[in-house]
Amino acid sequence: MEERELIGRVLAGDPSAERALYDAHVDRVFRLVYRMAGDLDRAQDYTQETFIRAFSRLAEFRSEAALSTWLGSIAISITLNGLRKVRRLNQRELVLDDLAPVGRVERLADPDLKTRLTQAIEGLPEGYRAVFVMHDVEGYTHEEIAGVLGVHPGTSKAQLSRARARLRVALADFAKD
Amino acid sequence: MDDQIEDELRAAARGYNEPPETPREVMWERIVAARAEEAERAEGRFRGFRSVRPVRLAAGIAAVLVLGIGLGRLTVRQPGPGPAPTPVSKAAPANAAAYRLATTEHLSQAEAFLTLFRVSVRGSGDERLATATARQLLATNRLLLDSPAASDTRIRLLLQDLELVLAEIAQLSSQPRSGELDLITEGMEQGGLLSRLRTAVPAGASSTQGVL
Repeated sequence: MEERELIGRVLAGDPSAERALYDAHVDRVFRLVYRMAGDLDRAQDYTQETFIRAFSRLAEFRSEAALSTWLGSIAISITLNGLRKVRRLNQRELVLDDLAPVGRVERLADPDLKTRLTQAIEGLPEGYRAVFVMHDVEGYTHEEIAGVLGVHPGTSKAQLSRARARLRVALADFAKD
Repeated sequence: MDDQIEDELRAAARGYNEPPETPREVMWERIVAARAEEAERAEGRFRGFRSVRPVRLAAGIAAVLVLGIGLGRLTVRQPGPGPAPTPVSKAAPANAAAYRLATTEHLSQAEAFLTLFRVSVRGSGDERLATATARQLLATNRLLLDSPAASDTRIRLLLQDLELVLAEIAQLSSQPRSGELDLITEGMEQGGLLSRLRTAVPAGASSTQGVL
């Protein structure tokens, strides 16, 4: 079934079309949200909220962009807002660990590249992290990222380049070993 | 950093916060439950809106219109003999403000009504109450279309599009055929009517609650 037809059926109140739309997009949304949140409960909450908001605003969707891009922009917005709230809460509650990242971080005594990289990615500024995760981890194109984040593709490329540069600096001593 | 490290970096990046299998069913059940709850709340608001609004809505908007027209008649000078009058009238700002107030109130009520109609009426069996509200709004809409408020092209086009949708709802039969509601919903969506109504109504303007 074509996407436009599916959207039309959802708007007409067809529950099976709602489920079909959910099934078609939930994996991609959940993967992105989980990569950003690093926590199953939060990823589920943010994914659910994404679809609840998408269904209630589907009438406002304009077909100029792909539905997946539109859903991605909702998901990223909800996730970043949610993570900011969590960060604020953490900052209030955790005085001892004021730089605690929001996502899951495994701290090892002798960290391997994967663990070091995880820590370095968590330490990236929000916008850089989103672009890096979408491009280098989830395989989005710069055009898709631009659509989701509402920026120019050139901005996405520049942010990715800066994110990689920061990671190289963060992992410089590892490279020397 | 050499190419080998770059490759290792990319490979390691793919393992960053590796997602588990998507918990589809768990999330879907919660989405369905949340949406049902939301629809129930909206229907409750719509019932309240329908039970008290039609008469008070019309009375309130009519009062604002009468006030505006009255102000205009009291303050606009009659043209007399002599040199041609200048087109600028001191009364214009007060008159325009009254029309603007009436228009904003009407658009705000229409936006609330259409939002609730879209969410609540389908399958509720309460189409008759919706048609009564639509008729009241239609009457006010016609008054505004014939008033100086419609000299603003954007508002005029919005009122014209709104008139079409309100007319369709007003003509709904007590037991509408399955396609009738779809056509109305399509009509609302094709021109982005709800978005345009929201844009036209300033933030903070009353909708389901307010002066009426």
